[in-house]
Amino acid sequence: MADDIVFELLHSEIINYALEQVKDVTKTKDTDLSVVEYIGFAAGYKIMERLTREWPRFKDELDTMKFICTDFWTCIYKKQIDNLRTNHQGVYVLQDNAFRFLTNFSNGQQYLEFAPRYVAYTCGLIRGGLANLCINSVVTAEVQAMPSCKFHIHVQRT
Amino acid sequence: MAVCVAVIGKDNAPLYIGGIGNDTSTDNELSRQWLVHTALDALEERLVSSNTTTANTATNAARTDLRDLYLGLLYSTDTHKIYGYVTNTRIKLVLVTSSTSPSGSNIRDAEVRTALRRLHALYADAICNPFHLPGDQITSIKFDKQVKNLMLNNV
Repeated sequence: MADDIVFELLHSEIINYALEQVKDVTKTKDTDLSVVEYIGFAAGYKIMERLTREWPRFKDELDTMKFICTDFWTCIYKKQIDNLRTNHQGVYVLQDNAFRFLTNFSNGQQYLEFAPRYVAYTCGLIRGGLANLCINSVVTAEVQAMPSCKFHIHVQRT
Repeated sequence: MAVCVAVIGKDNAPLYIGGIGNDTSTDNELSRQWLVHTALDALEERLVSSNTTTANTATNAARTDLRDLYLGLLYSTDTHKIYGYVTNTRIKLVLVTSSTSPSGSNIRDAEVRTALRRLHALYADAICNPFHLPGDQITSIKFDKQVKNLMLNNV
Protein backbone atom coordinates (compact mmCIF):
# COMPACT_ATOMS: atom_id res chain seq x y z
CA MET A 1 0.00 0.00 0.00
CA ALA A 2 1.12 3.52 -0.69
CA ASP A 3 0.81 4.87 2.84
CA ASP A 4 3.21 2.24 4.14
CA ILE A 5 6.00 3.37 1.91
CA VAL A 6 5.43 6.99 2.88
CA PHE A 7 5.98 6.14 6.52
CA GLU A 8 9.09 4.11 5.70
CA LEU A 9 10.67 6.84 3.59
CA LEU A 10 9.90 9.52 6.14
CA HIS A 11 11.41 7.36 8.83
CA SER A 12 14.67 6.88 6.95
CA GLU A 13 14.86 10.57 6.12
CA ILE A 14 14.40 11.52 9.76
CA ILE A 15 17.31 9.26 10.64
CA ASN A 16 19.51 10.72 7.93
CA TYR A 17 18.63 14.21 9.12
CA ALA A 18 19.33 13.42 12.76
CA LEU A 19 22.70 11.93 11.87
CA GLU A 20 23.61 14.99 9.81
CA GLN A 21 22.73 17.31 12.69
CA VAL A 22 24.87 15.37 15.11
CA LYS A 23 27.78 15.35 12.70
CA ASP A 24 27.52 19.13 12.25
CA VAL A 25 27.55 19.82 15.96
CA THR A 26 30.20 17.45 17.22
CA LYS A 27 32.34 16.92 14.10
CA THR A 28 32.81 13.31 15.05
CA LYS A 29 31.52 10.09 13.61
CA ASP A 30 29.42 9.34 16.68
CA THR A 31 25.87 8.31 16.10
CA ASP A 32 23.55 9.85 18.62
CA LEU A 33 20.01 8.73 18.02
CA SER A 34 18.38 10.05 21.18
CA VAL A 35 16.45 12.58 19.09
CA VAL A 36 14.98 9.84 16.95
CA GLU A 37 14.20 7.82 20.05
CA TYR A 38 12.38 10.82 21.52
CA ILE A 39 10.34 11.30 18.36
CA GLY A 40 9.31 7.68 18.68
CA PHE A 41 8.45 8.19 22.32
CA ALA A 42 6.11 11.09 21.57
CA ALA A 43 4.45 9.17 18.76
CA GLY A 44 4.00 6.04 20.86
CA TYR A 45 2.53 8.06 23.70
CA LYS A 46 -0.09 9.61 21.46
CA ILE A 47 -0.93 6.51 19.47
CA MET A 48 -1.60 4.61 22.66
CA GLU A 49 -4.34 6.97 23.74
CA ARG A 50 -6.21 6.26 20.52
CA LEU A 51 -5.55 2.56 20.27
CA THR A 52 -6.76 1.68 23.73
CA ARG A 53 -9.96 3.65 23.41
CA GLU A 54 -12.15 0.68 22.60
CA TRP A 55 -10.33 -1.73 24.87
CA PRO A 56 -11.37 -3.07 28.22
CA ARG A 57 -9.03 -2.30 31.07
CA PHE A 58 -5.82 -4.30 31.07
CA LYS A 59 -5.55 -6.94 33.79
CA ASP A 60 -1.81 -6.78 34.38
CA GLU A 61 1.54 -6.09 32.82
CA LEU A 62 1.57 -9.27 30.75
CA ASP A 63 -1.81 -8.37 29.34
CA THR A 64 -0.37 -5.01 28.32
CA MET A 65 2.62 -6.64 26.65
CA LYS A 66 0.34 -8.92 24.69
CA PHE A 67 -1.47 -5.85 23.50
CA ILE A 68 1.84 -4.34 22.34
CA CYS A 69 2.69 -7.55 20.50
CA THR A 70 -0.60 -7.90 18.72
CA ASP A 71 -2.65 -4.77 18.20
CA PHE A 72 -0.01 -2.10 18.63
CA TRP A 73 2.40 -3.89 16.30
CA THR A 74 -0.28 -4.64 13.74
CA CYS A 75 -1.30 -1.01 13.72
CA ILE A 76 2.22 0.19 12.94
CA TYR A 77 3.98 -2.67 11.17
CA LYS A 78 1.01 -4.61 9.71
CA LYS A 79 2.12 -7.80 11.40
CA GLN A 80 2.30 -9.27 14.87
CA ILE A 81 5.37 -9.90 16.96
CA ASP A 82 6.56 -13.44 16.28
CA ASN A 83 7.74 -14.34 19.73
CA LEU A 84 7.22 -12.92 23.21
CA ARG A 85 9.31 -14.15 26.10
CA THR A 86 9.46 -13.01 29.69
CA ASN A 87 11.13 -13.97 32.95
CA HIS A 88 8.06 -12.76 34.89
CA GLN A 89 10.27 -10.27 36.70
CA GLY A 90 9.89 -7.33 34.43
CA VAL A 91 12.03 -8.35 31.48
CA TYR A 92 10.28 -8.97 28.18
CA VAL A 93 11.84 -9.94 24.88
CA LEU A 94 9.86 -9.26 21.74
CA GLN A 95 11.17 -10.90 18.63
CA ASP A 96 10.18 -9.86 15.14
CA ASN A 97 11.54 -12.18 12.46
CA ALA A 98 10.88 -9.78 9.63
CA PHE A 99 11.15 -6.29 11.03
CA ARG A 100 9.74 -3.91 8.47
CA PHE A 101 12.49 -1.29 8.49
CA LEU A 102 15.13 -3.95 7.93
CA THR A 103 13.49 -6.27 5.41
CA ASN A 104 14.67 -4.23 2.43
CA PHE A 105 18.31 -4.10 3.46
CA SER A 106 19.67 -7.59 3.50
CA ASN A 107 19.09 -11.15 4.45
CA GLY A 108 22.13 -11.68 6.60
CA GLN A 109 25.15 -9.87 7.93
CA GLN A 110 25.58 -7.18 5.28
CA TYR A 111 24.98 -3.60 6.53
CA LEU A 112 24.69 -4.97 10.05
CA GLU A 113 26.59 -2.00 11.51
CA PHE A 114 23.86 0.37 10.33
CA ALA A 115 20.99 -1.64 11.76
CA PRO A 116 20.92 0.12 15.15
CA ARG A 117 19.92 3.38 13.45
CA TYR A 118 16.77 1.84 12.14
CA VAL A 119 15.56 0.40 15.41
CA ALA A 120 15.96 3.48 17.61
CA TYR A 121 12.64 4.96 16.58
CA THR A 122 10.81 1.75 17.38
CA CYS A 123 12.45 1.52 20.81
CA GLY A 124 11.07 4.97 21.55
CA LEU A 125 7.71 3.97 20.18
CA ILE A 126 7.43 1.04 22.57
CA ARG A 127 8.72 3.08 25.50
CA GLY A 128 6.25 5.88 24.85
CA GLY A 129 3.36 3.50 24.49
CA LEU A 130 4.19 1.83 27.77
CA ALA A 131 4.81 5.14 29.51
CA ASN A 132 1.29 6.24 28.69
CA LEU A 133 0.02 3.00 30.22
CA CYS A 134 1.96 3.86 33.40
CA ILE A 135 4.77 1.38 32.84
CA ASN A 136 8.18 3.00 32.97
CA SER A 137 10.71 1.01 31.04
CA VAL A 138 14.00 0.94 29.23
CA VAL A 139 13.78 -0.50 25.75
CA THR A 140 16.82 -1.70 23.85
CA ALA A 141 17.08 -3.53 20.57
CA GLU A 142 19.38 -6.21 19.31
CA VAL A 143 19.95 -7.23 15.70
CA GLN A 144 21.99 -10.35 15.12
CA ALA A 145 21.04 -11.11 11.56
CA MET A 146 18.79 -8.97 9.43
CA PRO A 147 15.86 -8.76 9.07
CA SER A 148 15.18 -10.30 12.45
CA CYS A 149 15.19 -8.03 15.48
CA LYS A 150 14.77 -8.45 19.23
CA PHE A 151 13.45 -5.75 21.54
CA HIS A 152 14.32 -6.03 25.20
CA ILE A 153 11.98 -4.28 27.58
CA HIS A 154 13.16 -3.77 31.16
CA VAL A 155 10.36 -2.52 33.32
CA GLN A 156 11.56 -0.08 35.96
CA ARG A 157 10.05 -0.72 39.34
CA THR A 158 10.10 1.96 41.97
CA MET B 1 -27.37 18.19 30.68
CA ALA B 2 -23.95 18.20 32.25
CA VAL B 3 -22.94 21.19 34.32
CA CYS B 4 -19.27 20.38 34.47
CA VAL B 5 -16.71 18.00 33.05
CA ALA B 6 -13.13 17.47 34.10
CA VAL B 7 -10.10 15.68 32.74
CA ILE B 8 -7.72 14.53 35.44
CA GLY B 9 -4.26 13.23 34.73
CA LYS B 10 -2.35 10.19 35.90
CA ASP B 11 -1.09 11.93 39.04
CA ASN B 12 -4.52 13.35 39.92
CA ALA B 13 -3.63 16.82 38.71
CA PRO B 14 -6.50 18.41 36.80
CA LEU B 15 -5.73 18.88 33.12
CA TYR B 16 -8.98 20.55 32.27
CA ILE B 17 -12.07 21.62 34.17
CA GLY B 18 -14.88 23.13 32.21
CA GLY B 19 -18.33 24.16 33.22
CA ILE B 20 -21.23 25.89 31.64
CA GLY B 21 -23.36 28.62 33.06
CA ASN B 22 -21.77 31.43 34.96
CA ASP B 23 -18.28 30.85 33.73
CA THR B 24 -16.53 33.88 35.13
CA SER B 25 -17.79 33.62 38.68
CA THR B 26 -15.10 32.48 41.09
CA ASP B 27 -17.65 30.79 43.32
CA ASN B 28 -18.74 28.53 40.52
CA GLU B 29 -15.19 27.72 39.66
CA LEU B 30 -14.44 26.77 43.24
CA SER B 31 -17.50 24.63 43.68
CA ARG B 32 -16.71 22.85 40.43
CA GLN B 33 -13.21 22.04 41.57
CA TRP B 34 -14.51 20.86 44.88
CA LEU B 35 -17.12 18.63 43.27
CA VAL B 36 -14.61 17.05 40.96
CA HIS B 37 -12.11 16.42 43.70
CA THR B 38 -14.59 14.76 46.00
CA ALA B 39 -15.17 12.28 43.19
CA LEU B 40 -11.52 11.29 43.02
CA ASP B 41 -11.59 9.20 46.19
CA ALA B 42 -14.61 7.32 44.95
CA LEU B 43 -12.85 6.76 41.63
CA GLU B 44 -9.74 5.32 43.23
CA GLU B 45 -11.87 3.07 45.39
CA ARG B 46 -13.64 1.65 42.36
CA LEU B 47 -10.36 1.00 40.61
CA VAL B 48 -8.80 -0.79 43.56
CA SER B 49 -11.83 -2.96 44.20
CA SER B 50 -12.05 -3.92 40.53
CA ASN B 51 -8.41 -4.99 40.62
CA THR B 52 -8.78 -7.23 43.65
CA THR B 53 -11.93 -8.90 42.42
CA THR B 54 -10.31 -9.80 39.12
CA ALA B 55 -7.44 -11.30 41.08
CA ASN B 56 -9.86 -13.39 43.10
CA THR B 57 -11.37 -14.69 39.86
CA ALA B 58 -14.86 -13.34 40.23
CA THR B 59 -17.60 -14.52 37.92
CA ASN B 60 -17.12 -13.83 34.28
CA ALA B 61 -19.98 -11.40 33.94
CA ALA B 62 -18.79 -9.35 36.87
CA ARG B 63 -15.27 -9.29 35.54
CA THR B 64 -16.14 -7.92 32.13
CA ASP B 65 -18.27 -5.33 33.84
CA LEU B 66 -15.43 -4.27 36.11
CA ARG B 67 -13.03 -4.03 33.23
CA ASP B 68 -15.28 -1.54 31.52
CA LEU B 69 -13.79 1.93 31.23
CA TYR B 70 -17.04 3.52 32.30
CA LEU B 71 -17.44 3.38 36.06
CA GLY B 72 -20.98 4.66 36.40
CA LEU B 73 -22.38 6.87 39.12
CA LEU B 74 -19.67 7.57 41.64
CA TYR B 75 -21.22 9.91 44.05
CA SER B 76 -24.36 11.87 44.40
CA THR B 77 -25.19 14.85 46.52
CA ASP B 78 -28.39 16.81 47.02
CA THR B 79 -27.65 18.97 44.04
CA HIS B 80 -25.30 17.02 41.83
CA LYS B 81 -24.56 13.59 40.44
CA ILE B 82 -21.01 12.67 39.58
CA TYR B 83 -20.09 10.07 36.97
CA GLY B 84 -16.64 8.67 36.32
CA TYR B 85 -14.65 7.10 33.49
CA VAL B 86 -11.06 5.94 33.60
CA THR B 87 -9.12 5.25 30.43
CA ASN B 88 -6.49 2.57 29.98
CA THR B 89 -3.92 5.31 30.25
CA ARG B 90 -5.19 6.25 33.74
CA ILE B 91 -6.73 9.48 32.62
CA LYS B 92 -9.82 10.15 34.69
CA LEU B 93 -12.82 11.77 33.10
CA VAL B 94 -15.46 13.14 35.43
CA LEU B 95 -18.87 14.39 34.46
CA VAL B 96 -21.15 16.25 36.84
CA THR B 97 -24.85 16.68 36.26
CA SER B 98 -27.25 18.72 38.23
CA SER B 99 -29.97 16.70 39.92
CA THR B 100 -32.11 19.76 40.60
CA SER B 101 -32.65 20.94 37.04
CA PRO B 102 -35.41 19.15 35.11
CA SER B 103 -33.11 18.01 32.29
CA GLY B 104 -30.50 16.60 34.60
CA SER B 105 -32.58 14.83 37.19
CA ASN B 106 -33.79 11.94 35.06
CA ILE B 107 -30.75 11.38 32.96
CA ARG B 108 -30.13 7.88 31.73
CA ASP B 109 -26.97 5.89 32.27
CA ALA B 110 -26.53 5.20 28.57
CA GLU B 111 -26.54 8.92 27.81
CA VAL B 112 -23.78 9.58 30.28
CA ARG B 113 -21.83 6.68 28.88
CA THR B 114 -21.95 8.01 25.33
CA ALA B 115 -21.10 11.51 26.50
CA LEU B 116 -18.03 10.24 28.32
CA ARG B 117 -16.97 8.15 25.36
CA ARG B 118 -17.17 11.20 23.16
CA LEU B 119 -15.21 13.19 25.70
CA HIS B 120 -12.55 10.49 25.59
CA ALA B 121 -12.41 10.80 21.81
CA LEU B 122 -12.05 14.56 22.11
CA TYR B 123 -9.30 14.12 24.67
CA ALA B 124 -7.42 11.71 22.40
CA ASP B 125 -7.60 14.27 19.63
CA ALA B 126 -6.36 17.03 21.93
CA ILE B 127 -3.42 14.86 23.01
CA CYS B 128 -2.44 14.31 19.39
CA ASN B 129 -1.82 18.02 19.00
CA PRO B 130 1.97 18.21 18.66
CA PHE B 131 2.07 21.38 20.76
CA HIS B 132 0.61 19.60 23.72
CA LEU B 133 3.12 18.02 26.06
CA PRO B 134 2.04 14.99 28.07
CA GLY B 135 0.97 15.95 31.56
CA ASP B 136 0.34 19.59 30.74
CA GLN B 137 -2.96 21.33 31.14
CA ILE B 138 -5.10 21.32 28.04
CA THR B 139 -5.25 24.89 26.81
CA SER B 140 -6.64 24.19 23.35
CA ILE B 141 -9.53 26.51 22.57
CA LYS B 142 -10.89 24.03 20.05
CA PHE B 143 -11.05 21.33 22.71
CA ASP B 144 -12.76 23.75 25.08
CA LYS B 145 -15.39 24.61 22.46
CA GLN B 146 -16.06 21.00 21.59
CA VAL B 147 -16.45 20.05 25.23
CA LYS B 148 -18.84 22.94 25.86
CA ASN B 149 -20.85 21.80 22.87
CA LEU B 150 -20.92 18.30 24.23
CA MET B 151 -22.22 19.55 27.54
CA LEU B 152 -24.84 21.82 26.05
CA ASN B 153 -26.66 20.19 23.22
CA ASN B 154 -26.05 16.50 23.04
CA VAL B 155 -28.23 13.85 24.71
